[in-house]
Amino acid sequence: MGDLQLEAIYKDFPSHRVVDGISLTIPQGCFYSLLGPSGCGKTTTLRMIAGFDEPDRGLIRLGGRTLNGLRPYERPVTTVFQSYALFPHLTAAENIAFGLKRKGDPDTARKVKEALDLVQLSAKADRLPAKMSGGERQRTALARALVLQPEVLLLDEPLSALDPKLRKQMRLELKELQARVGITFLFITHDQEEALSLSDRIAVMNQGRLEQIGTPQEIYLAPATRFVAGFLGAVNWVGAIGVRPEMTRISREAPGNGARVVEATVSSAMFLGDCFQVETKTPAGDSIIAQIAHGIGEFQRGERVHVWWHPGDEMAIPQ
Amino acid sequence: MMRLRALFLLPAWAFTLLLFLAPLLIIVVYSLQTKGVYGGVVEPWTLENYTRLFDPLYGVILFRSFLMAGVSTLGCIVLAFPLALYIARSGTRKTLLLNLVMLPFWTSFLVRTYAWMFLLRDTGLVNSVLLALGVIAEPLPLLYNDWAVIVGLIYGYLPFAVLPLYSNLERLDKSLLEAAADLGAKPWEAMLHVVLPLTAPGMRAAGVLVFIPCLGAYLTPDLLGGGKSMMIGNLVQNQFTSARDWPFGSALSLALMLIVMLLLWALLRRDGEEVL
Repeated sequence: MGDLQLEAIYKDFPSHRVVDGISLTIPQGCFYSLLGPSGCGKTTTLRMIAGFDEPDRGLIRLGGRTLNGLRPYERPVTTVFQSYALFPHLTAAENIAFGLKRKGDPDTARKVKEALDLVQLSAKADRLPAKMSGGERQRTALARALVLQPEVLLLDEPLSALDPKLRKQMRLELKELQARVGITFLFITHDQEEALSLSDRIAVMNQGRLEQIGTPQEIYLAPATRFVAGFLGAVNWVGAIGVRPEMTRISREAPGNGARVVEATVSSAMFLGDCFQVETKTPAGDSIIAQIAHGIGEFQRGERVHVWWHPGDEMAIPQ
Repeated sequence: MMRLRALFLLPAWAFTLLLFLAPLLIIVVYSLQTKGVYGGVVEPWTLENYTRLFDPLYGVILFRSFLMAGVSTLGCIVLAFPLALYIARSGTRKTLLLNLVMLPFWTSFLVRTYAWMFLLRDTGLVNSVLLALGVIAEPLPLLYNDWAVIVGLIYGYLPFAVLPLYSNLERLDKSLLEAAADLGAKPWEAMLHVVLPLTAPGMRAAGVLVFIPCLGAYLTPDLLGGGKSMMIGNLVQNQFTSARDWPFGSALSLALMLIVMLLLWALLRRDGEEVL
């Protein structure tokens, strides 16, 4: 047991470099997310940890032990695949028993039963994957990987195949599950909301490189690069200063002391249900969007307004 | 709309009725009549041709045919599986390799069977090489026995086993093998517990496609068995030629057809149309 460490990992595909010098440490027992757009190299990074691909350069260590060169079946990590990759000819219980049987575990029956209980699938133990719902397949895949008590569980976009409502519910279950089993989770996702709500730490990747590593608050509120700022949420750019729309205020009168103010004209106002979204244009031509709560009042197109934010709400990003 | 559809189906119906059902009907009629002195059929109508089928003599030949076809089918699948797996994993060379598997079809089956005679006979390539190398002192009796027939059948029908197995293995989700390895299965364990069970439909299809033509084979046992290795196909042929017993030949063919249909039904009942 121990921390999972990647040291200067490089991986080239025939056409381009997919992973370009990644170094990071994933503390034991942490819910860690690799967040980035598709093609950023996050899945390749996961595959190198699982042993499906080998890095061209760099070391993968787990608690001081080097994993490089070990076959996937020799590594103390297991994977929840994006498509789940459940064995279609085996029932939920048989899928979960697969890894234990390969190890010749004498306690297979009890462990399978416990794993089924853990993911609340005891009633569906004898069901084939084809007869399961999306959520049931997801839980089977989780139980199948967890029952082997890996040192690290790798999750490759495990929620992306679910419908939005189920996805939110599974998100909660996943978080609770990780807290209960205490195993290191490495979660791969392109969904910033998922990463923010689940993770202890997030590493943001772009074009094969790490952009920033930090807690969800750190990377959302103090992004290190423009890419991170933009990937985690909408940003209004006023020169080198970025402000999130929900931090942006609008008023007809000039705000009080200390506020950073820009004068602008309302170009559109939309009611979004939970808030109003007001889009404004500055004389310099920048577009600034503000999400404002009900009760602040409605703004009309063409109206001249003050757009402002409290000091400290802006993100100063080094160019 | 309905009429137009009927018009396009007409050639297919005409073809089926004229060239498939009509000959079948003729065979049914022949099988119920008496043999003529110089071949052909004459009155009276009789069921005797069918009662003769139960003669142990023919039962032995039928059993031999099943055995030979069964061994050949097994041989085909055992040889075809690794080949199909290799082709399915060959990336861009798949098409080339598949065409190589089909290559023998470019020449006549008869010519290719003769080629096997040249390979296997006492003065043939195999014996010549072994003699020249001093491995053997006398030519091995490779031709004109059951094994020669089985080798010929496996050779002839191997592509029919490769193709369904290939299409099955090709569709096999690669992530299942990764999942197996991830869960601790060594490559041979993944093969045994994941690939083999999931290729069962392909194996059944290969089995049907090879077993049926092997069961009715007559050219291969005739040429490579040298008349010593009779299968039911040769028996049918004999009735229409040297024995001049068309009615019994017809009854035999119908019996063979019935057996094949029962077999197919038993197999296809399991996984519906998915097999073929």
